[in-house]
Amino acid sequence: MKALSFIAGRALQGLIVMIGVSLIVFFALFLTGDPAAVMMPPEASRAEIEAFRHAMGYDDPILVQYLRFAGGVLSGDFGRSLRFQRPAVDLLFERLPATALLAITALLWSSLLGFVLGTVAAVRQNGAVDFVIRVISLLGQAIPVFWLALLLIIVFSLNLRWLPSGGIGTAQQLILPSLALGAYYFSAITRLVRASLIEVLGENYIRTARAKGISNFRIVVHHALRNALIPVLTVQGMYFASLLGGALITEIIFAWPGIGRLAVDSIQTKDFPVVQAVVLFAAFTFVVTNFLVDVAYVFLNPRIRL
Amino acid sequence: MKHVRALLLAAAGLLIPVSLATAQESEITIGRSVSTTAMDPGFLREAATIVDNVFDTLVMRDENMQLVSGLAESWKPIDDTTWEFKLKKGVKFHNGEDFDAEAVKFTIDRIIDPAANSPTLSYIRTVSGVEVVDPETVRITTDGPDPLLPTRMSRYPTYIVPPDYVKSVGNDEFARKPVGTGPYEFVEFIPDQHVILKANPDYWRGAPSIGKVTFRAIPDGTARVTALLTGEADFIESVPVDLAPMVEQSPDADLVLVKNGGLTVYLGLVMKEAPLDDLKVRQALDAAIDRKGIVDNILRGMATPKGTQVGPADFGYLEIPPTPYDPAKAKKLLAEAGYPDGFSIKMESTHRYMKDSEVAQAIAQQFGDIGIQVDQEVLDWSVYTQEVPRPGPIYMLGWGSTQTLDADAAVYAIMRSGEPYSTVDVPELDALLDESRKIVDPAAREKVLQEIQKVAAEKVPLLTLYQEDALYGKARDVVFAGRPDARIPVYDIRLTR
Repeated sequence: MKALSFIAGRALQGLIVMIGVSLIVFFALFLTGDPAAVMMPPEASRAEIEAFRHAMGYDDPILVQYLRFAGGVLSGDFGRSLRFQRPAVDLLFERLPATALLAITALLWSSLLGFVLGTVAAVRQNGAVDFVIRVISLLGQAIPVFWLALLLIIVFSLNLRWLPSGGIGTAQQLILPSLALGAYYFSAITRLVRASLIEVLGENYIRTARAKGISNFRIVVHHALRNALIPVLTVQGMYFASLLGGALITEIIFAWPGIGRLAVDSIQTKDFPVVQAVVLFAAFTFVVTNFLVDVAYVFLNPRIRL
Repeated sequence: MKHVRALLLAAAGLLIPVSLATAQESEITIGRSVSTTAMDPGFLREAATIVDNVFDTLVMRDENMQLVSGLAESWKPIDDTTWEFKLKKGVKFHNGEDFDAEAVKFTIDRIIDPAANSPTLSYIRTVSGVEVVDPETVRITTDGPDPLLPTRMSRYPTYIVPPDYVKSVGNDEFARKPVGTGPYEFVEFIPDQHVILKANPDYWRGAPSIGKVTFRAIPDGTARVTALLTGEADFIESVPVDLAPMVEQSPDADLVLVKNGGLTVYLGLVMKEAPLDDLKVRQALDAAIDRKGIVDNILRGMATPKGTQVGPADFGYLEIPPTPYDPAKAKKLLAEAGYPDGFSIKMESTHRYMKDSEVAQAIAQQFGDIGIQVDQEVLDWSVYTQEVPRPGPIYMLGWGSTQTLDADAAVYAIMRSGEPYSTVDVPELDALLDESRKIVDPAAREKVLQEIQKVAAEKVPLLTLYQEDALYGKARDVVFAGRPDARIPVYDIRLTR
């Protein structure tokens, strides 16, 4: 019963967040200026701009526009892209597979490698190997993605000519963008696994296990890792949700046709409906992932049951 | 006899695969800085690079930018407000539909229909109607004398579209799967990835030499140049100034530099506000700018300092040398205007033009040298277009006339008081600008257009800086010199593979 009300409470919180996001998305865009003036070419006369504004409904009271927007969203209609003259939702879902592919690849390699290196570093705490891994993971988190992406292109495409500089379609084209995108998560996961494992390894039950004469390998794999992974999985869920919202910089530099590029192009051209659809979608993925993680906790970890 | 026939057959058998093979091999990949969103020439919200290759206009421009016959055999004014076009016979759209006078009427009617809200309506705003005389003759009427009408029929939005196809699939579908009469047929469009075209073998000017064209969107400058240098692309648009030397030095690629192929960048002045309402202040600002220094040092010579907004390729161009850099004179003018100690003023710029932030910074420093404190602000383009041209009071903008190659496009919108992009308020200019739009006789019109530039040089309603060059990159085996109107007609590109 308690678990049920906890889940219901979380769902309600998610709903409130979504309403809040929709309000912010809607009003913030209008605060930045007049879409009609941007969408029309510079040579357009005032009368032509006015006619466009009226046709798009931008001259209605802002509350009317919001209610129309919210009503549309609930029925799956985010309006039509001003640039593409197509439903914003179609544009979003067309680009979702590309973004998902990049996100999954980046998360996969960064998790696997981060997990292995994090474990090694924790077991060899304060040793030379640990030091090297810590430096690498610090660099990975410190290097800005736009710089890393360009560096990868210059080294692997321009100088070595091993990999294509961008685009989508072949496995080779996936390597550089997923490397650039995953670098940060790899570092974050390495550090998290290391810290979490070191903490668990200091617990009493590990000491007990050691006292019982269990091998070090068995202690780490069977006893410590299982507990150390709970925070790591939570963080990965969050990373995945944020990656699904599109990797803005990576997608632009590598000409990757995903949601992030759509978002940036739409912001630059004030394509309101698309921006709203992308931001709401990103928020929705986040809220849903968060909710699922919370629900999973209820079943996985009895201590969280309130 | 039998032997001869057998030999001939064998020869033919040998020849056919060879010619097919060359046609298949000749393909080109063009890297663009922007993604295509839609390809309906009547409702375009982006550069016409792709539709330029799929559609034809009634009038065309040759490589010397002269108006020549396109889908129209000939044209002439019938009276002050009517132009008659005689159309080519036997031209077909890619889907087999016939090109005729009805297609011309349909094309223009769908743009000038107020309910259609065409974003490119302003380009043909003067057109009031189209009348079909017979299948090979149309008359286009304007709401006043319009000397530029044939020019308006030389580029989008007046690319001729097939009426039956557009009506049956609707505007949205047409924008995704365009059908024209042009040298290339549409094959595939995947948003944010590419547009693929293939040669139209029945093209009325003869089949194109390049068989397949892929336009790829590569938004990042470094990635675009890399794609060219590694052979992923054969031709790229907008080479960043900083990366131009990399293209120049490459053994595999060449830099294509089209002198005066870009926009003319200027500093707009909100003239109504003090102290910019004072001619001497404007002249002082004008003389304080070291245009040559900026072009040589910041833009690496890839622009030309100018004294007029009109481009040398434009009709009505008057050569006016750029204002000489003379800080001493600028200081003197400022003192005469009553500002011996200068003043402080805000200047806005954006990220849109070649090295714009660096240029703005250099100018701010040069203004500082004559005692004017500049409060510099750099805004993102999407925000900038909301601000400019109003707040300023000094703002950087680039303006061009590639659409028409006529001085009118270069000056009217930014110098006529009351126009959305104008902060100029000079009655003398207004009178001349209005007059220029009423004259049909080319010689008389050219005179007025040149007079406008003279007056502008005297009254300094804005500070013309320089005209950017257009920078393209091409693989060694691509033959194309670039055009002042910024088109990339694949039909005219040759490959030497």
